[in-house]
Amino acid sequence: MSQQFAHPTAGRHTALAKHGPFAWRALDLITLAVLGVALGVAFWGFDTFLYYPLKALLAGFPPAQQLMLGIWILPAVAGMLLVRRPGAALLCEMVAASVEMLLGTEWASLVLLAGLLQAMGVEVVAALWRWRRFDLMLAVLGGVLGAVFQIVLYQWWFAAREFSWAWKLIYLAAGMISGAVIAGLGGRALIRALAATGAVNAFPPGEEHLIATGELTTDMVPVGEKE
Amino acid sequence: MWGLLSRCGPLSVLAATFLLTIGGLFVGELQAVLVGLAIEAVLIPILVGRAGIPPLRLLPGIVAMVSVTWSNWLLAEPRSWEIALLAGGRVAFFVLPALVLVCFLDPFTLGDHLGQRLRLPARPVLAAVAALQRLESLSADWETLDRARRVRGLGPGRGPLARGRHLASMTLALLVEAVRQAGRMTVAMEARGYSAHVGGGRPRTWLETAPWTREDSVLIGLITAVAAVPALIQLFG
Repeated sequence: MSQQFAHPTAGRHTALAKHGPFAWRALDLITLAVLGVALGVAFWGFDTFLYYPLKALLAGFPPAQQLMLGIWILPAVAGMLLVRRPGAALLCEMVAASVEMLLGTEWASLVLLAGLLQAMGVEVVAALWRWRRFDLMLAVLGGVLGAVFQIVLYQWWFAAREFSWAWKLIYLAAGMISGAVIAGLGGRALIRALAATGAVNAFPPGEEHLIATGELTTDMVPVGEKE
Repeated sequence: MWGLLSRCGPLSVLAATFLLTIGGLFVGELQAVLVGLAIEAVLIPILVGRAGIPPLRLLPGIVAMVSVTWSNWLLAEPRSWEIALLAGGRVAFFVLPALVLVCFLDPFTLGDHLGQRLRLPARPVLAAVAALQRLESLSADWETLDRARRVRGLGPGRGPLARGRHLASMTLALLVEAVRQAGRMTVAMEARGYSAHVGGGRPRTWLETAPWTREDSVLIGLITAVAAVPALIQLFG
């Protein structure tokens, strides 16, 4: 990829999934599922110990509760940034939602529906760039669209159905902010932190990290895998 | 009908929760949803039968109902208790039964059914099932990491900030460990033919069959009827 030479600054190289976006490896599927389980447990811990006190604290201004929404979208963003294939966000998010459902949560099996909607937001953004762009923009827009899908297609029909339009929109805006910050920035920070440990060297973020630290140069990446 | 849920497959149980959600979508009157809730209060314990469920599992649903009622009282237009209770009742109508129903789901049976009956792609389904089997060892890993840190003098301090930092670094360590385990799992699963059917190889076999039984149909019939109650009352009541 000539981009590396056009922008010599570190971290400019975007590594893509090996052999094109559709060539799912066993390692991709199993890593996403395991990551989903780990994040699902983290969800459940948040649900059980932190969510209710925070929710009670924000009860005077309920739309502010949507500032927490991004936490649940984070696995979708993280999964897509890690594996960079169509369906990556969906698999990671659905596994995390299943764990949450099985351990016990507020919305029972409806978290599966919520997970589906949130992940589809990330999938749509990744598909718009044809799985070639995995930067901050993708993470943030994915998180935002995930929040929009979740609130417009689900919350507005149930939890917030009788709200006035002004409040519905404030509710949506709070969710979008959370999607951008917690899911987008947070998901990207998480994957970068994982890459820095060397645990995901078999994945594109690991490759990017090695290039950024100078341990790998772009001309060491096989030609067929460059864009 | 007594204890029907224990004899149902996972797909009908999941479908039942979504049917009730669709029913909830059509709830528009307080009276109708109260009748619906009353019918559920009688029917669901019969379907559960002797199996029973931990009552604490219902608590999150009650919190959801209360919080939706409260936020709608604050923000709905026009402000009234009737609208607030309607919003809360609608949520209770599908969330409370769903919380009971999901107690009867087993992730491993669900995987078998998703793969064989719904024909979802086998590899992602099996990856999810295999990963779910790691659920218990995950908490053991957490404790090992925690102990190792304390032994090295890296345990948390007393302040909330120090605890938060400890929690964050522990979470990252756990994720690193999980990703490494996924690598080892992949080797083990590939050695047992996980990807053998890709590209027109041998057809995949499954551990358990995934039958749709008469009980499944009965459950769907009953729940469809219950889900339709509020809408029917509003139409003809």
